[in-house]
Order: sequence, then structure tokens, then C-alpha cells
Amino acid sequence: MTGRPSTGTMVISAVVALLVLLPAFGSDFFIDFVMTRTMMLGLAASTIVFLSAYGGMVSLAQWLIFGVSGFMIGNAVAEAGHGLKLGWNPWVAVIFALGIATAVAFVLGALSARTIGIYYLMLTLTYAVIGFLFFGQVTTFSGFGGVTGLDPPGFFLDHPKRLYYAGVVLSVIAYVTFRAVARTSFGIALQGIRDDPVRMSSLGFNVPMHRMLAFTLAGFVAAIAGVLNVWWNGQIDPTSISIGPTLDLLIIAVIGGIAHLEGAWLGAFVFVAANNYLRDLPLVDNIGITEARFNTVIGALVLLIMVLSPDGLMGIIEKVRAAGRRVLGGPTGPTTAAPEPRLRRTSS
Amino acid sequence: MSKRTDRKRWLSILGILLGFALIAAACGSDDDGDDEVVAEEEAPAEEEAPAEEEAPAEEEAPAEEEAPAEEEAPAEEEAPPEEETAGDNEVRLGIMAECEGAFGGFHEDITAGAVLGMINGAGATSNSTTTALDGFSGASVAGTPINLVGIGCGDDTPDRAIQEIRTLVEQDGANVIIGPLSGDEGIAIANYAKDHPEVTFLDGSSGAQDTTLSVQAPNYFRWHADGAQWNAGIGDILHNTAGWDTAAVIADDYGFGWTSAAGFTAEFCAVGGDVVQQVFPPLGTTDYSSFVAQLPNPDEVDGYFWVIGGTGTNASLEAFLNAKGDLTGDQHAGNLFFSPALAAALGTDIAGAYVGGFANLPGDISTPEIDAYLASADAAWETLAGGLSGNEPAEPSLAAGFGFMYAYYSASAAFTEALAAVDGDLSDNHAALRAEMSTMTWEGPFGDISLDENRQAIADTSVQQLVLDENEEVISKTVVIVPAVDQTFGGTFSEETDPPERDNVSCEERDLPWVGNAIPVVDGVPQN
Repeated sequence: MTGRPSTGTMVISAVVALLVLLPAFGSDFFIDFVMTRTMMLGLAASTIVFLSAYGGMVSLAQWLIFGVSGFMIGNAVAEAGHGLKLGWNPWVAVIFALGIATAVAFVLGALSARTIGIYYLMLTLTYAVIGFLFFGQVTTFSGFGGVTGLDPPGFFLDHPKRLYYAGVVLSVIAYVTFRAVARTSFGIALQGIRDDPVRMSSLGFNVPMHRMLAFTLAGFVAAIAGVLNVWWNGQIDPTSISIGPTLDLLIIAVIGGIAHLEGAWLGAFVFVAANNYLRDLPLVDNIGITEARFNTVIGALVLLIMVLSPDGLMGIIEKVRAAGRRVLGGPTGPTTAAPEPRLRRTSS
Repeated sequence: MSKRTDRKRWLSILGILLGFALIAAACGSDDDGDDEVVAEEEAPAEEEAPAEEEAPAEEEAPAEEEAPAEEEAPAEEEAPPEEETAGDNEVRLGIMAECEGAFGGFHEDITAGAVLGMINGAGATSNSTTTALDGFSGASVAGTPINLVGIGCGDDTPDRAIQEIRTLVEQDGANVIIGPLSGDEGIAIANYAKDHPEVTFLDGSSGAQDTTLSVQAPNYFRWHADGAQWNAGIGDILHNTAGWDTAAVIADDYGFGWTSAAGFTAEFCAVGGDVVQQVFPPLGTTDYSSFVAQLPNPDEVDGYFWVIGGTGTNASLEAFLNAKGDLTGDQHAGNLFFSPALAAALGTDIAGAYVGGFANLPGDISTPEIDAYLASADAAWETLAGGLSGNEPAEPSLAAGFGFMYAYYSASAAFTEALAAVDGDLSDNHAALRAEMSTMTWEGPFGDISLDENRQAIADTSVQQLVLDENEEVISKTVVIVPAVDQTFGGTFSEETDPPERDNVSCEERDLPWVGNAIPVVDGVPQN
């Protein structure tokens, strides 16, 4: 073993470098809209991937936490319109929003810590629906009209590229943190719980506690994404966290590959790009594909990806790499592939 | 040893790469503001990549390095303001339409309204004889070309509206927007407008009060009344003519529903009525039974006022039929969504119901201007698949005679008229154009419209009644025209009052300027 970075690490580093350089040659719209949104959605989707890949928990509540954070920002900073209209300093609002959203994640994580599989999915879906109805019906915090006219802190105001870079930086931090957590004793225990909770429990590990803490950590990251989103979007309303966007986030994770942390951002990019550019492709509207058919298109895309590779786009990329290695007859030993712990579920 | 050396080598390579990035960032952009921002952000970038590199090595230090990098950036000075658009010499028009959601059926109508304004006011020709969605070509006013750059696809949610409007403005480069259709979308876009002074926004048909009264974006113009204004006159008639002393209100739970209900409540209470119950189902609800159950029974209240729009109108009334009995015209009234088409599904007992106004006047009023406007729609297209015909091809004048298409038409036609008046001058962020729109009176086919200091229409509105014609079919008849209704409802609403919501319109008697001054209409002829 030489310690030389693996190809995957080099690729990721190159991608990050590309992301940093992007504003130099990408159009304003591409950066401010497509890529900033990609970063935010990727950050939120990475929490689904983290919970799924390391903890075996497919959560539909991440978008809710994302929304709670956004609503708290809205209630805290707005001075007029709907909601609490507290008119706080935006940075104080961030602390407030992250605190509330993380606390909500903690409580929801505790409530669902003893469920697994389809029951976990259903329970977190229930949270999402409750959250949507809560913010819709309780006009003290929002009402269906939502909280509008929200400006980001002065540092980001009228500087959309700073928001983009914040998305990149926070995404990198989240990525590194999730990977680092996976290597801690907590993360390893979590992966053990993912693979066999009964055995881990009998070994003396507190299974619900691990699940709850993982959910809380994921909730914190989702809340950060929610802060970025409300700064970027300038408003938030209950339909922003309705069942549609909730499922969109899962779709993003699935497109990228729900066992691959990197896939969250890849899936987000494909999702956002499809949403924005599909309508501009020549001839597509002649076959009935307009922006109104976006859900149909993205559904077909997910179907196609799932058929080709249940592991999403990252799975396809890995297959291509493996095929390339076979064709080129390159070395397959440890010198080219560092023994990184894979995120995908292993049978033990 | 070798592990550390290799890592150093990789870090060096990455550092060089990012050094090039810095140079590229500094030289590559033609936008001063961008250059500075990129340069500012380079520091965090350099920290990020090593973090990636070291991740496999089980070290958390790189993550910690991020923090100082992030903190560094705020210390940098502000970037220059965004670019000026003084050099605009063409109108790049974006139409914010509505292809999905509760009002998705009116996508064709509203697009056609905006396009028809360009056809009548800017000499454009439609690109298709059967749909407005293909846009127009050849539009020009005083030598200033008008090009359609995109048609946005809203779904009545503010989130989607913002994303679509950003696509139109920031990707397609629109400098004039017509739209949106729905209340909350309007509020969100008016807020967006504040941050984009270089773009002129002309509201399509969205009727929430806050859009203009609270947000007050200086570049946002609404050439139609809001939901409350459209209901002017009906509270007076229901109390003093229909004899209602008490009423229950069921309204969509969003900006337009609140505004429309507020208009009814303000006037009904002003003349001495009392609103005893209000129920607010979410927009787009499909099963209204639980909401209808919250309404008082027919023997407990004099009447019901319905503010349920889009796909919910029929569904909510059917739920009432199932739960509480007949829908009779003497006990039910509604805002603009209460149309004669309801009778097809709900029976003719609904005849007699009073209906609030909309951007247009009902079809029984005929003037040469209205006839010319409708004829221009029929000349522009052979057929349009609008909302009133169930999205089946029909005469374009059917859609043109309804408020959605007309509201978009008003924006489009008033804009072209103002542009002609300033000789196509778009300089200085459309300053002359905006000044002209703020002061002019647009003489529309359904009445004159001028704007108040918040750029909100002061317009005539009407109260209609569903009646049976000689063929026992339900049609709409104009009862009164209420002239020059302003947004404040005679001081009831102001920028100091909270925007309409579920319960924040108090029920109290007060004077309204038009009570007693409405112009009766007999057989389609105003009696003034």
C-alpha cells in the first residue's frame, strides 16, 4: 500500500476543483440557478443517502427538516406578511432555525428509532405530511400563502455566486463529515446496526440511540440546506415541503445512487438540469415533452436508471469503470483501488 | 514515509491546479462583479480540495480547515452592483403562464391574452391558428421590437413561480414579464421584482391584495382589480336585496381566497350583515366533505358565500349537495368562480345566485369596443382550447370574454400603449415607460383602468346573477356595475393593515364609497 489517492478520490477532487472554477466560464444563470440549486438539493439528498447507506434507514422526513429550517428563518427575519414577523438579524435567525430544526429532527428520530424497513419509510412519510399540513393550517407560522420577501444576510444579498460557493463549501464539509463519521466507532456501529440490528443489540449496542443520533445529524445537515434554500429562493410556503418535493428528494437520491454519497449531488444535478433544459431541447415539444410533462420525463428517467442500474448513476459509472479496466487489462490490485470502505450495503 | 510524500505531491498538483483556477477566474469573466467574487472565494476553494484528498486517510483536520476559510470570505468587501441594462433596445417578453395545478386548464387562455395584446397593440401575428402557446412574431412598437423569449409554467405555488420566473429572467433574459395567474404566485413574484429593478413586471390575473398594497414593488404593475375589488357590490346586494343578515364563507386557503373573502366580508358587514362562520380548505382539495361539514346547516344561516376556484369549485359544491341538501340560488352566492357552467353539473336550482365580478364584464353587456375586442380574438386564431370549453377547441372569443384571458390582455395591451406613448423608450430601466403607465388611463373594452400610487388598478367591476333564459338554461346577467373601485375599499385596507388572512378582517359597519352609487344594468344596458 502506497497511500496514493484512489482514482475515485482524484475524480472527486477534480470535480470539486471544477465546481470552484465553474463561475469563471459558466453563465450566470447556470451558476446562480442550476448549480446553486444542485448544491442545495445535493446537500439535502446526501442526508437521505447517509441514513440509507450507513444506517439502513430510508427517510422521507429530510425534506421536512429542510422545510422547518426554512420556515424558522422566514418567521425570524420577516418583518411583514405572514408568520411571526420577528424581524431578527439574519445570522441570529440561522442559529435559531438550525436549533429548532435539529431539535425537531432529534424528536422525530427518537420517535422512529425503533422502526425499520417499510415501517420507517411510512413513519417518516407521515412526518412529512404532518409538517406540510402543520405549516399550511397554523397561520401563526405560515399558512398556505407561505412566508415571502425574505432576503439573505447582507453578505449574500445581490451576490448569488457567494451563495453558490457557500453551497459548494457546505457540501464538501458535509461530504467529508459523513465519510469521517462513518469511520468513527459510532459510524461503524451504525453500519453494524444497518446490517444486523438484532446482533448489534445482543452485543450491547444501543440500537435506537444510534439511529436517533444519526437521524439528528442528518437533520442538522438538511437544516443547513434549508437555510441556503430560503436565502436563495426568498420565500417558503407549505407546498415547498408537500409530498411532491419530498418524493423529488428521494428520486434525486435514487437517480444518483442511494448507496453512494457522491450520488446525491450527481442526482441533484441531473434532476435540476432535466427540469431546466429539457424544455429547450429542439423537437422535444413536438413529441409532447414540455415543462408540464417534467414529472413524466423524470419518472421515465428514474425507471430507466433503475432498470439499467439499481445503484443509480454512480452504479453505472462504476460498471463502466470496471468494464474499462477489464478491456484495458489494467492492474486490479490494491495499487489502483485504495481499500476505501464502500458505502453500499454489504451482506454479512 | 512514501504515503506522506505521495500525499504531498498530490496536494502540490491540486494547489497548482487551483492556482490556474485563480488566474482563469480573474481573466475569464467579462463581468467585473463576477471576477471579484470568484477571487474572493478562491481561498475556501483551496482548502476544500485537500479536504477531499485526505478523506480516505481518516483525518478530520481538513474539515476543520474549512471553517477559517469560510470565515475569511465575509471579511471581503462588497462586490460592485449588478450590471446596468440601460442599453435595452428591444423588449424580451416572458409570459408567466399556468400549465399545471388547479388553474392549469387556463394555460391557453392566459397565454392567448398576452399574445392578443401584442397582436392588437404591436402588430404581431400569431404563430399558429389553433394555439397561442406557439407565440407570436413580428411585434414592434415605435421601432422597438418585442420578442417572446419564453412561456413559464406555473402550478399556482409560489415556489414553482419563483423558479419559472427566474428561468425567464435570468436564463432567457426577459426584461418584461406578463403574469402570473394566481394569488400567492403574484406575491412571490412581486417580492422577486423588488430585487430586479431592470425588469418590468405586469401582473397577469393574480388577485391577492398584498401583491401591490403591501409589497409595493416599484416595477410591478397590476392592470386589473384584486380579489376584494372584484367582490365590490355583492355584499350590499346580498344584504339589502337578497335579505341575507347572516352568511357563512367557504374560501380557498391562500392569498387570493383570503383577499376575495375579505372583500365580501368587508362589504357585507359594512352594510349591516354578519359573517357567522368561515371555512378555509387548501387550494386544490379534492374531497371537500370535511370542510362542508363545518358549515352551518341551511336553516342556521341566511346564505353561503363560495370562494372556491379552479378544480375545486364543482367538487366543493357537490360535497355540499351530498351533505346539506340543495344548492338554491337564493341561499348561495359566490365570487368569480360561480359561473353558469356549474349548472351543467349541479342543476338549474342554482339560478338566482349572485356572483362577484371579474376582470371582464358578463356577456350580456355589449358595446362596439367589446365586440371589436372579441372579434380581434376570433381573427387571431381559428380556435383556442381554453378553460371554458374544457380545453377542447372552441371559438377564441369564448376564452377572450372571460376574465383570465382578458386580465392578461389588459396587461399586454396597456403595456404596448404605454410603450407607444414613450416612443419605445426603454432606457434607464424603462423609466419613461413606467412613468407613463403610472399616470395613463387605459381605455379597455370592458372599461377604463388607471393605476393608483401602488401601481394597482382602479377599475369598474360588476355584480352578476345566474338566471334562466327562455330555453331554461342558466346564463349570467349583469345586475350592477360598480364604478372605479379602489383597492383600499374606502380606507378599509391599507399598507398598515395586515394582509387578508383567515380571520383578520373584522366584521363591522362602515361607509363604503360605492354603496348606493352602483349603476344598475337592465337587459345589458347600464342605466347611467
